[in-house]
Amino acid sequence: MENDNLNKLWKTQGNDILKYSPQDVITKAKKQRNGQYLTITILSTTVIIIVIYAFSFALNRWNAFNLGLILMASSLTLRIILEFYSMYRNERHLISMDHKSYHIYLKKYYRIRLMVNYIVTPVCIVLYIVGYTLLLPTFEKYFSKVFYSYILLFGIISLFIIVAIIIYSISKEQRFLRHLNKI
Amino acid sequence: VYKLCLGYASGDQNTANEWLQETFIKVWKHRNSFKGKSTIDTWIYRIAVNVCLGDLRKSKRHIPLSENILPENTTEYDGENDISENNIKKMYHCIDQLNEQNRTLILLELENIPQVTIADTVGIAHGTLRTRLNRIRRSLLKCIKNGK
Repeated sequence: MENDNLNKLWKTQGNDILKYSPQDVITKAKKQRNGQYLTITILSTTVIIIVIYAFSFALNRWNAFNLGLILMASSLTLRIILEFYSMYRNERHLISMDHKSYHIYLKKYYRIRLMVNYIVTPVCIVLYIVGYTLLLPTFEKYFSKVFYSYILLFGIISLFIIVAIIIYSISKEQRFLRHLNKI
Repeated sequence: VYKLCLGYASGDQNTANEWLQETFIKVWKHRNSFKGKSTIDTWIYRIAVNVCLGDLRKSKRHIPLSENILPENTTEYDGENDISENNIKKMYHCIDQLNEQNRTLILLELENIPQVTIADTVGIAHGTLRTRLNRIRRSLLKCIKNGK
């Protein structure tokens, strides 16, 4: 009898649902998928260009500028590929696992991500900074003083912004992992 | 699926709607990977509960109960509706106190989803589910009655 009360109470709630038509969902899903394809295409093209550049030009005329460029581009590419791979894996598990298994997987997933954030990401950032520093003498030599100062300042500011975003996402993931461990 | 998400979102309709939409976007995107090993209902419920579980924002969420989910026609004073409103608020508060898995179980049960589907969605044995549901119902009713 009391159990019925619980069901009755649940059913007394208002049913004010924001209506999505199936077409809305399909349109949004297609947009998401196209966005993913576009990102993958841009990323693959970047990787191909770096590889071609490294083997055709940079290896023949090895200098600090080429090394810097390759370090910057490859560290960014590596980090982005890792990010997409982990997102892809997470989604595959989300759609195929039952709730209990997915909960266990999520804890493992965020523990691995923390390791990536604490080890791989700092390595990528250091490589990026080293690469950027190697480019500076060439910039100084060929660009005007004003433009060089602009590049220098812009580089430093954008690096700070990237680091701030990374720190924010690490703290968000850490908080979520704590939450997952508690429940 | 909406009510399930609503329960997970402590009655916050915007979050529930986002999760609802996200669930069906994933269903559509991965429709070809549905191999028919479970029923389509189970597959969709699994995706829904996993979407709700995996939302990063949840860890710092504290959403006040939305007025829209309270019983309709409460503009004029009505003693019975007042009690019902209060009980719904208490019910969400009590559901929030449950652990993640128990919350999923009771939300699916309250939506009259067959127990076989619930067991399959969550990944526990049917017998265990029955025992757990009885216990959760008892503790929920006690919580609603006592307010904690």
